[in-house]
Amino acid sequence: MPNQSPPKRYSAVAQGFHWLIAALIVVQFTLAWSADDLPLGARKLALLARHKSFGMTILMLAVLRLLWRLFNRPPELPAGMTGIERRLARATHVLFYVLLFVMPLTGWMMSSAKNYSVSWFDQFTWPNLIAPNEQAFNFLRTTHDTLSWLLFAVALLHILAALKHHFWNKDDVLKRMLPFTKSEKQS
Amino acid sequence: MRNIYLAGTAAMLLAATVAAAAVAGYTSDPQQSRLEFVGVQAGAEFKGVFHKFTANVDFAPDTLASSRIDVQIDMNSVDSMDKDRDATIRGKDVFDVAHNPTAHYVTKSISKTAAGFSAVGALTLHGVTKDVPIEFQFVPGAAGAKLSGSAKLNRLDFGVGQGDWKSTDTVGDAVKINFSLVLKPKG
Repeated sequence: MPNQSPPKRYSAVAQGFHWLIAALIVVQFTLAWSADDLPLGARKLALLARHKSFGMTILMLAVLRLLWRLFNRPPELPAGMTGIERRLARATHVLFYVLLFVMPLTGWMMSSAKNYSVSWFDQFTWPNLIAPNEQAFNFLRTTHDTLSWLLFAVALLHILAALKHHFWNKDDVLKRMLPFTKSEKQS
Repeated sequence: MRNIYLAGTAAMLLAATVAAAAVAGYTSDPQQSRLEFVGVQAGAEFKGVFHKFTANVDFAPDTLASSRIDVQIDMNSVDSMDKDRDATIRGKDVFDVAHNPTAHYVTKSISKTAAGFSAVGALTLHGVTKDVPIEFQFVPGAAGAKLSGSAKLNRLDFGVGQGDWKSTDTVGDAVKINFSLVLKPKG
């Protein structure tokens, strides 16, 4: 039967989701920050169009990733972690999953509220989630912005924690998410 | 002989008067009439309306030669459900309402089609006059009539979109027009 014992490493699928979405999130911050500085013009619209297309891609990947995660156990946390470290690690991961949905959804609603429907790389147009409404847009924009900083902070914590495990604790927390590496057998 | 000639002239005059009277004169009800445009930005359609316009219609389905549709549009009344975009549209690079506050459409010829009627008219938009065909239906009612239909035009034919907006990468050239006019008899 599958999943009798937790795996030692993240599977190729889990690694694929992790690194693809991580890369897309970096692209998203880059596009959003570049567009923020521009006045309303063709360049800004083009950057935001790409931001929306990638955002909807992340949302679709998040759905697949969550489904996949529900049926596949991840490797266990290293034995030496304290209770608070474990809770912090869990909270970070749950928050990541929540933000993977909430960020694209608030962005999508923002676009709907401002009557700028979301296209997916010019291939098709997503339906509007809410009717055009200026107050709703302002609220959603603030929410999307604020949550982006939360995402930034959580990502920073996540990266620092992975590096701390690798260089300080010298366990395989980072390695088991890296392709082309081998994890030593854990005791 | 002379009497017959006079009678003939009188009959012709009478016939002309009757024909002219057969074309009913209408004006659009500003509350119930709608003039909408559908543009494409970043791969997704967006809709806007003109709140202020007046249509003067002389129309009878059996005397199309003397029928005419004449529409004056207040370009300042554009509303795409986003203030920022509206400001850009009114600005000098798009409608340039400071110099071209109104647009005007007047039909040159109307003909019967399988689905209703089609017309060719001169559209003056952004100071440029060009022929634009329309397709429409005319439904007489108890207190007036309803005239609804659509048209397609290319915004760049009228110089709508200068500078940043001349490119069609982000904002498409083709614009769809939908109208639904509730007509009240003139009087």
